[in-house]
Amino acid sequence: MALVEARGLTKVFRRPDKAPGLKGALRQLVVRRFTEKVAVDHVDLAIDAGEAVAYVGPNGAGKSTTVKLLSGILVPTAGEVRVGGVEPHRDRIANAHRIGVLFGQRTQLWWDLPVADSLDVLRDMYGIDRATYTRRLKRFDEVLELGEILPSLGRRLSLGQRMRADLAAALIHGPEVVYLDEPTIGLDIAVKDRVRGFLRSLRDEGTTIMLTSHDLRDIEDVCRRLVIIDGGRIIFDGALTALKDEFARERILHVETAADVPLAAVQASLAGATVTAGDSPRRFSVRFNRFAMTAGQVVAALAGHAELVDFHVDEPSIEDVVRRVYSGELMAR
Amino acid sequence: MLRTIRLYLRLLGTHLRASLEYEADFWLMALGAAMTQVAGFVFIAAVFLRVPDINGWTFWTVALLFGMVGFSEGVINLFFEGMWWLADLKHNGELDYLLVRPYPVALQALSSQVGLNGLGNLLTGGALIVAGLVNTDIDWSPATAVVAVLLFLGAMAARVGIMLACNATTFWLEGPTSMFAFAVHQVGDLARYPLAIYPVVLKGLLGVVLPFAFVSFFPVSWLTGEGGTGWLGLLTPLVGVYCVVLAAWVFRRGLTRYESAGN
Amino acid sequence: MRPYLALTRAMLRSALRYRITFLMGMFGMFFQLIALFAVWRVLLDEREIGGFGWAEMRPYLLIGFTCGMIVSSFTDWRMAYRIVEGTVSLDLVKPVDYQFARFAEIVGGIAAEVGVAVVLWAGVLVFTGPIALPPPELLALFALSMLLVVPLKFLFSYVAGLGCFWTHHYNGIRWTQQAVVAVLSGMMIPLALLPSWLATTAAWLPFAGVASTPGLIFIGRVDAAEAARLVAVQAFWIVVLWLGARLAFRGAVKQLTVHGG
Repeated sequence: MALVEARGLTKVFRRPDKAPGLKGALRQLVVRRFTEKVAVDHVDLAIDAGEAVAYVGPNGAGKSTTVKLLSGILVPTAGEVRVGGVEPHRDRIANAHRIGVLFGQRTQLWWDLPVADSLDVLRDMYGIDRATYTRRLKRFDEVLELGEILPSLGRRLSLGQRMRADLAAALIHGPEVVYLDEPTIGLDIAVKDRVRGFLRSLRDEGTTIMLTSHDLRDIEDVCRRLVIIDGGRIIFDGALTALKDEFARERILHVETAADVPLAAVQASLAGATVTAGDSPRRFSVRFNRFAMTAGQVVAALAGHAELVDFHVDEPSIEDVVRRVYSGELMAR
Repeated sequence: MLRTIRLYLRLLGTHLRASLEYEADFWLMALGAAMTQVAGFVFIAAVFLRVPDINGWTFWTVALLFGMVGFSEGVINLFFEGMWWLADLKHNGELDYLLVRPYPVALQALSSQVGLNGLGNLLTGGALIVAGLVNTDIDWSPATAVVAVLLFLGAMAARVGIMLACNATTFWLEGPTSMFAFAVHQVGDLARYPLAIYPVVLKGLLGVVLPFAFVSFFPVSWLTGEGGTGWLGLLTPLVGVYCVVLAAWVFRRGLTRYESAGN
Repeated sequence: MRPYLALTRAMLRSALRYRITFLMGMFGMFFQLIALFAVWRVLLDEREIGGFGWAEMRPYLLIGFTCGMIVSSFTDWRMAYRIVEGTVSLDLVKPVDYQFARFAEIVGGIAAEVGVAVVLWAGVLVFTGPIALPPPELLALFALSMLLVVPLKFLFSYVAGLGCFWTHHYNGIRWTQQAVVAVLSGMMIPLALLPSWLATTAAWLPFAGVASTPGLIFIGRVDAAEAARLVAVQAFWIVVLWLGARLAFRGAVKQLTVHGG
């Protein structure tokens, strides 16, 4: 059985309809009307121990809601969640010991306390013995450079410092499963790199990770499996490379020739591909499906028209693919 | 159990330390709370300069009622002030992290604030209780003392339970304030006077629906023999347990409705 | 005048927007009146205390409560919050007089509070019977003195609010202010029934103007000449406190620059 399992997971929020004005307010007191919004819609998900899963989707797709359902913060409207056999919202305390949660937008540090004290309160709460605690803290210090921020008050931290301290707070009890919601949001490149490195080492040690992020670099660096959610439904679940195979079939070959070539003739010789003119008569692009023909075949066909001075192949980045999935340009399943 | 209590005190202590940073504010809060108690008491003291009793209740027995209400107020301020911030925690989605920690959510929320006014309320309330006990003719025996302590604890539990339950209704209400609980809090102040002076609807409200009468009236009535309803006072510990259990139940039910603001 | 009217309107809108919160707050205060009514009803059952019978005490308490209710819910919290948070510096750069701007906001809140007061009076009259009106000259003085309650109460809150330039929380100041007003304004008990030393103290302080004065005039405890004198005392305190508050404000703003906002 998978470590984290969700079956038919659904969350519906009810929002009261607010009619404007005093009359609307009075009517609202008598007859309450609601609009239902399905945030997460029959999601099935299974994550094995030690897996690192990226969970992506456009804003409002239901990413955070899923994370909150999996961690037991929200109670599902329908369906069920089990983490290591435990239903998180029913058995919070047992669940809490196994999981670590980080919401990048929000800190769990105590505003008025030095970071060291916040961590020590958590140590007490999780019942971590001194030796283990010191060992973990030392490790976090090596990767996240906590030392300098431990004495600072929570409210005085910069965003980057806060995120590093929050990572430590989420992981101080050595959780089996870690949910990270936007752990690099608003950070500069240097801190982002450090956080990514830390997550990789965490993954290599066998911690199960579920990561949501808008920065796909985070995902490529840390995860091998990708789950895409849109409108509360999962529209892709598989290996990152499989995503490319499925959606990124298209290649574009950019060519520069030694002599002018009539594009119509080129098009005629390349059935199934699309030829478009470039910014000079000797430059043009060929768009083709890499499963229908190979780049070598395209080059060979072109060489029959004129000598090729230069060419390169564009492969869509994972970012392009995901962006096009969001925008509905690529229909999944 | 012991660990739970120790951790609770530790959580409270961290906030206490932080709020003591502003010493001047500490004294002002304590003074403000004490003055509020004193203002109510000056009124009743002035009344008793003109009349010997209210419905048979003498000055010092009424002082006991005032003291119990004030002291219970202080207990909430000092140890459970977080309840007044529950609406705020809910509204800003700040319960998220509390829900993934291995410690009861209600206790984390309750210990999330310390009201420094509590000290003023405890001192004035305590002083009134002591003065009331000294000046009232009570037939003390070891058994009386034990029962009195039990009634006192029950009374405090009743107040904390009622107010927590009312604050937990925030999960069913919209908006970021505890206005409903605030209104109920004002109802609680009615318990500073003998129950007999109120019309029957209010007697039912204070005795049954929101049993504030068990915070002051019934236990004091048992101890002093005033008011003729002493036997009801013996129910105080039960009512206290009932209120706390009810509050925990309301809180737990409410938590399942928590929607966690933001994305 | 335009910017001040805009503030008044903004405050009224905000009162209407948070009407549930606002009404709940008023509803809560209502229980204070219930307690006072219950205590005095029993005390004055078939007897008079210091010349006050239930017939006088009922309107007196109702007026005192109404005075306590108005000017209670808005500006001071907002003002204190902005001072503590430091956003007050934005208020200070606006081309309006700070003190008068806060007063304009109060007036907006009062419009909502008066609405509640009317409903309250109607309710009390229906359930506990009609109230005898004083003779016309006293009624006129009563109306005038009720009007003066507004600036006077505003000044109490305003001066208390200025205290936030020195502290970080408003609660302590507010509670102290309210407690002092509760006792020395005669809101809960006519000042004449207080021990004489306390009554004398109250006579020399401005607080009687926000409850005792309109109450005594309405129930006809004072004759027209004495009523006129009490109203003049109210006016006197308004002038003194208005000017005093300006002085205090100057000192307060210095605090702001010292701490750098």
